Amino acid sequence: MVKRKVRLSEILLNSSVFLSTTLSALALGLIFFYVIREGTTLLNWELFTGNYHSRNYIAEFQDEQLQNYDMPDLSKVENVYPVDRFGIVLQEDIDLAGNGVVRVYYVHPDSPFNKMISKEVGTEEVDLDVGMIFQRISYVNHPTSLSRGGAQKFATELSDPQREVYELFFSDLGGGIKGSIITTIYLIFMTLIIAVPFGVLTAIYFNEFAPSNWITKTMRSFIETLTGVPSIIYGLLGITVFVPLTVRFTPAVNSNLIAGALTLSVIILPTIIRTTEESLRVVPDDHRAASLALGANKTQTTFKVVLPQASPGIITATFLGIGRVIGESAALIFVLGAAIKDTVNIYEPSTSLAVHIWSMMTDEPANIALSSTIAILILAIVLVINLSVKIGVKLLTRKGM
Amino acid sequence: MEKVIETQELSLNYGDFNALSNVNLPIYRNKVTALIGPSGCGKSTFLRCLNRMNDLIDNVKVDGIIRFNGEPVQGVGVDVIELRKKVGMVFQKPNPFPMSIFDNVAYGPRQQGIKDKATLKGIVEKALKQAALYNEVKDRMTESATRLSGGQQQRLCIARALAMEPEVLLMDEPTSALDPMATQRIEELIEELKKDYTIVIVTHSMQQAARISDNTAFFLLGEIIEFGQTSEIFANPRDKRTEDYITGRFG
Ligand SMILES: Nc1ncnc2c1ncn2[C@@H]1O[C@H](COP(=O)(O)OP(=O)(O)OP(=O)(O)O)[C@@H](O)[C@H]1O
Ligand SMILES: [Mg+2]
Repeated sequence: MVKRKVRLSEILLNSSVFLSTTLSALALGLIFFYVIREGTTLLNWELFTGNYHSRNYIAEFQDEQLQNYDMPDLSKVENVYPVDRFGIVLQEDIDLAGNGVVRVYYVHPDSPFNKMISKEVGTEEVDLDVGMIFQRISYVNHPTSLSRGGAQKFATELSDPQREVYELFFSDLGGGIKGSIITTIYLIFMTLIIAVPFGVLTAIYFNEFAPSNWITKTMRSFIETLTGVPSIIYGLLGITVFVPLTVRFTPAVNSNLIAGALTLSVIILPTIIRTTEESLRVVPDDHRAASLALGANKTQTTFKVVLPQASPGIITATFLGIGRVIGESAALIFVLGAAIKDTVNIYEPSTSLAVHIWSMMTDEPANIALSSTIAILILAIVLVINLSVKIGVKLLTRKGM
Repeated sequence: MEKVIETQELSLNYGDFNALSNVNLPIYRNKVTALIGPSGCGKSTFLRCLNRMNDLIDNVKVDGIIRFNGEPVQGVGVDVIELRKKVGMVFQKPNPFPMSIFDNVAYGPRQQGIKDKATLKGIVEKALKQAALYNEVKDRMTESATRLSGGQQQRLCIARALAMEPEVLLMDEPTSALDPMATQRIEELIEELKKDYTIVIVTHSMQQAARISDNTAFFLLGEIIEFGQTSEIFANPRDKRTEDYITGRFG
């Protein structure tokens, strides 16, 4: 009787172990699969280096003797619509963020589109370059036409000999995430510069210098608790303390990158303290004793003997911190804002990659493709970080450090 | 014979626990003094009093007098760092720092502010030669010390202590983690070092104490039962308990 019971429970245990493993692996696999399937269409170097906000141009069309332009061979290209009359080819395409646009596929050097007069700067000529986006065409005696109609509609209209173009509104390709990448890099560096020294020194204090009494014990468990606090609460701290503080002492006028970095520092500080402390704790007391017995003082012992041995732990802590910075969104929406920028200024709002995803998903309609592409980028960064931690720690330990 | 260290009515308590009581012991210059006794009798505790390593332990209370070259060792006004420079220590388990061989030996002098490369090199080489390790490591000074064998590591730790040019070397069971060959090398080394240094060694091996020491102190339950010349103690122990211990009939 007893024996059979044990067996049954063992079978149950084994099968639930197996089941849980399979389910977890499946869930994780599905996330990767989904993100990669959705995100790869937009994966493109230009996305990472391109501006989000496109530069717009309004230009006046000049009366021009039309001629016959020799056009490129289009037989192998899809979704292109030539306009022989003006020597251009339009293409139905998507921008970096995946929105449908009318792009310039070809423009003849002598095309009247290359001899337009910019409305902003006065009489200066503006060129239409390949890759630019047609936004709006105004005709003489005909209603203005918008890009929503697509490349084919534009091409048909332009090919109509009755129509005289009066004005063109066009722009660069937009939707790039360059600014958000730069912001993220700024955030990482600024956060680490603040949090790592503070965290490491605090850990040193707790582990090497603090007397073990109830005060330090309480502080320790307090820090332990802080690692589990939801980041949105740190966001509150950021908006009530760091944003006003930075507004008071820097040129910033509202949410800004410095406040973001300060908030993130507070978020990663407990992790850095704890991880560093753990690595300090495993440094053998023998080494401390040996150093002190050689007439070294406490400070020398701590910084020359103990701390170097904790460096793998500190590196791990640093990279855990980077991961946290890259992944944080909720708190940053408060303190850094959600304004997507192409040029980053530490005194101004901007977005990190994670918040960029948030912005894309709160757009109407949600831009899942671009979000997934950014997600791929984030996953890749996290992967690279994890690998470099492993390699770095291994190298350090092999050196005997 | 000149006393380098002397304790008078030395007692030590760990909290409520009395680990040493009324210990009177002279340590003579250029002699090897062996401390023997069953486990837990306070040998290490006594040794740590001599360079104030007990300061690292909480709740330690020391009473009585310890003198090093006639100067008191206990007391708030004493420069502990100066004391530890003069009274070096070698631990039971070899504990080289995870640094290069050179950096290990140079560690102590460097912390005293010596930066000059040539000076450091001279100190390191001298210490390694004194510790009979130089020939084995002279071509691998930049290698990590943790790659040395246990016996080599222990000699490195001795060299590291010698680099401070101490007067006294305290050794707490320095060979208990080593094989017989490595042990023999350390014993030969101690014989050699005696010329320039005063050595206090804790050991559990009666043979070792008999082989290398000039004087022996037998500890039991925190007290010194017998102290005298090693030959005397091993040949004619005055106390029955000493006899029982050295003949192996005891704990
Ligand atoms: N840090 C400490 N706190 C409290 N009690 C201690 C401490 N260190 C040692 N003791 C106690 O003091 C007594 C003497 O210890 P000590 O380490 O000096 O013995 P020992 O003679 O060196 O023993 P062994 O031969 O095993 O090394 C022991 O009973 C030990 O339990
Ligand atoms: Mg001991």
